[in-house]
Amino acid sequence: MEPLLEVEHLRVRFKTKSAVKAFIEKDDDPYIDGVMGVSFAIEPGRTYGLVGESGSGKTTVARAVMGLVPVDSGAIRFNGENLVGLSRDRVKPFRRDIALMFQDPAGSLSPRLKIRSILAEPFRIHDKMPENLSVEVARLLKMVNLSPSMGDLYPHQLSGGQARRVGVARALALSPKLIIADEPTAGLDVSVQGEILNLMARLQNDMGLSFLIITHNLAVVRHVSDHVAIMYLGRFLEQGPTQTVFHHMRHPYTQALLSAHSSPDPDTVHHRISISGEIPGLVSRPLGCEFHTRCPGVREKCRRLFPPRADAGKDHQYFCHYPLSVSEN
Amino acid sequence: MAEPVLDIRNLSVNYLTPRGTVKALRRINLQVPSAKVVGLVGESGCGKSTLISAVIRLMAENARVAAGEIRFTGKDMQQLSPRDLRAIRGRDMSMVFQDPMTALNPVFTIGRQMADIQYRDAVSGKEKLKRAADMLSLVGIPDAVSRLDNYPHHFSGGMRQRITIAMALLVQPKLLIADEPTTALDATLEVQIIRLLKDLQADFQCAILFISHHLNVIAELCDFVGVMYAGELVEKGSVRDIFHRPGHPYTRALLECDPSVIAEPTRFLPTIPGEIPSLIDLPEGCIFYDRCPGAAQVCKKIPPPEVSIAEHHTAACHCLEV
Ligand SMILES: Nc1ncnc2c1ncn2[C@@H]1O[C@H](COP(=O)(O)OP(=O)(O)OP(=O)(O)O)[C@@H](O)[C@H]1O
Ligand SMILES: Nc1ncnc2c1ncn2[C@@H]1O[C@H](COP(=O)(O)OP(=O)(O)O)[C@@H](O)[C@H]1O
Ligand code: SF4
Ligand code: SF4
Ligand SMILES: [Mg+2]
Ligand SMILES: [Mg+2]
Repeated sequence: MEPLLEVEHLRVRFKTKSAVKAFIEKDDDPYIDGVMGVSFAIEPGRTYGLVGESGSGKTTVARAVMGLVPVDSGAIRFNGENLVGLSRDRVKPFRRDIALMFQDPAGSLSPRLKIRSILAEPFRIHDKMPENLSVEVARLLKMVNLSPSMGDLYPHQLSGGQARRVGVARALALSPKLIIADEPTAGLDVSVQGEILNLMARLQNDMGLSFLIITHNLAVVRHVSDHVAIMYLGRFLEQGPTQTVFHHMRHPYTQALLSAHSSPDPDTVHHRISISGEIPGLVSRPLGCEFHTRCPGVREKCRRLFPPRADAGKDHQYFCHYPLSVSEN
Repeated sequence: MAEPVLDIRNLSVNYLTPRGTVKALRRINLQVPSAKVVGLVGESGCGKSTLISAVIRLMAENARVAAGEIRFTGKDMQQLSPRDLRAIRGRDMSMVFQDPMTALNPVFTIGRQMADIQYRDAVSGKEKLKRAADMLSLVGIPDAVSRLDNYPHHFSGGMRQRITIAMALLVQPKLLIADEPTTALDATLEVQIIRLLKDLQADFQCAILFISHHLNVIAELCDFVGVMYAGELVEKGSVRDIFHRPGHPYTRALLECDPSVIAEPTRFLPTIPGEIPSLIDLPEGCIFYDRCPGAAQVCKKIPPPEVSIAEHHTAACHCLEV
């Protein structure tokens, strides 16, 4: 199937100091790489999960796809069209098809706006005011199993789960094809988390939506995403079908990450693969394989050479000189 | 148990709203023994944050303590002067919140903020910055020394949270209160922070009141666990009792919803059907009645008593198999 979203060699850089300061300090490269050449594709009706250490660049990838941070190089193709370098006007219709799901609508949206105005915002921003706004608002609320009367409430009057539903409804406003959800269930207890994820799964079934889900919650990713990428210092160290990555991982970091996840039993004896050492900073990005400062299997070559991309099977790639053997996991 | 660091007795808290009085907490009894970790779990909106705001006496304007008392190292928190309170907060009692920006000031550098909270210590500014950098490294912030000059917005969400944890630890408190501190962290860091908290607790004999939705973290870190539902503490006990022998139907349902215990991947996860009752018009009988799979006739009209299941293990339910 043709992918809905195809990201190729995406690179995003941040300035670390002002031009004046860089000049004074004779720093000819006052940049850090937030995202360093990641590639992935999402097919229609599928869910792609992005996991990785905090600060690894997940949100930055999402923001680049949304057009919210400038792209340094690479391509972001949506329905075959490269959005990078398109003029604002040409890009606008595509942006309507990509919606961002707010993590915390009660916190991130104006507390003074009633739910109905919050739901009307996407229409206003995109100059797409429907003829009958109340009908539209009621329709959106119904889609997420909320009663139309909720439109008259303020965000702080909602429970955590209800607020999250409003976030889903708002993302659905312009009938997008892709929804980007950054930590869609962070801060929810497991029962409400289940409700939100089930709602997203139902909408996906009914409407053929694609999702890009960013989360720290490996238990969630395992259930909801078809494909997953493991991100570290701005790169995807391993990516592939979720089941494959979880059960036949080749990258030592993936193994460490998955082994860190504890079980909800106080008597579990954890067999964690300890990854010692600090997470290197973007400013002091290590040479060679960037995971070498913490990798339990590091060898001499790793410190010098960045490993080439290796294919482990259909859609399954990793970057490592000395991958785990298939029988190790 | 020796005298607990924190002793919450019969605490009820209301919020006054135009729609009526929200009875957000009702008759809460909870003790945090010295050098122990007590976890609190429960559905969003069940009152965990309200409980904490009452403990640290930083409540919303419309909040009222309707009954009960809170003792911290023997002192009645409600009787303390604002000055004594300030002395306690940020020294003997420190806090880590869900949203790191509650604790960080966007217009000052991290280094400045971390030095400022050490204002009581008679050491040089340079020494304070060094301590700050050491603590940042300890919580896993790379390039710690150079990042002291950065402002909060230069860090990712998870990094900001680690910074607030570093700040809370800098003062070596007797009680650390943490409201979902690891929500924004990935599994490896979460584990790292949990270990850090455990070490700190062992070194400084610090007690921790820990709120989290990550049941696995609760299981790993805590000695005791309290389970809240709609403003009540419906069950409490040792971490083993709660995870291995849960008594209350809500606790059981909650544990079953955890996606990490479901082996086969599934798109549709278990939930607890129904909704939390209105905290303005409380039901007459058991608060969990309309969602409880095992509800009996008596539950509808009569609030359940707190029943002792084992030492330190109690649950509020009519139908416990004890
Ligand atoms: N505006 C900015 N200026 C400088 N550095 C930035 C900026 N925004 C992000 N960064 C840096 O880019 C890196 C990636 O940040 P990003 O927010 O994408 O992380 P993340 O993977 O989403 O983390 P988390 O899981 O904690 O949300 C971090 O090191 C961060 O400090
Ligand atoms: N300032 C307030 N005014 C009115 N109601 C409030 C206020 N703060 C919280 N509440 C209500 O009190 C209950 C408990 O909220 P909270 O303590 O934030 O729960 P939790 O932290 O467990 O998610 C909820 O029903 C919430 O809507
Ligand atoms: S390339 Fe070397 S250092 Fe990097 S992950 Fe593989 S074995 Fe570890
Ligand atoms: S008292 Fe009755 S309704 Fe309440 S939890 Fe127990 S069995 Fe369920
Ligand atoms: Mg992020
Ligand atoms: Mg809360």
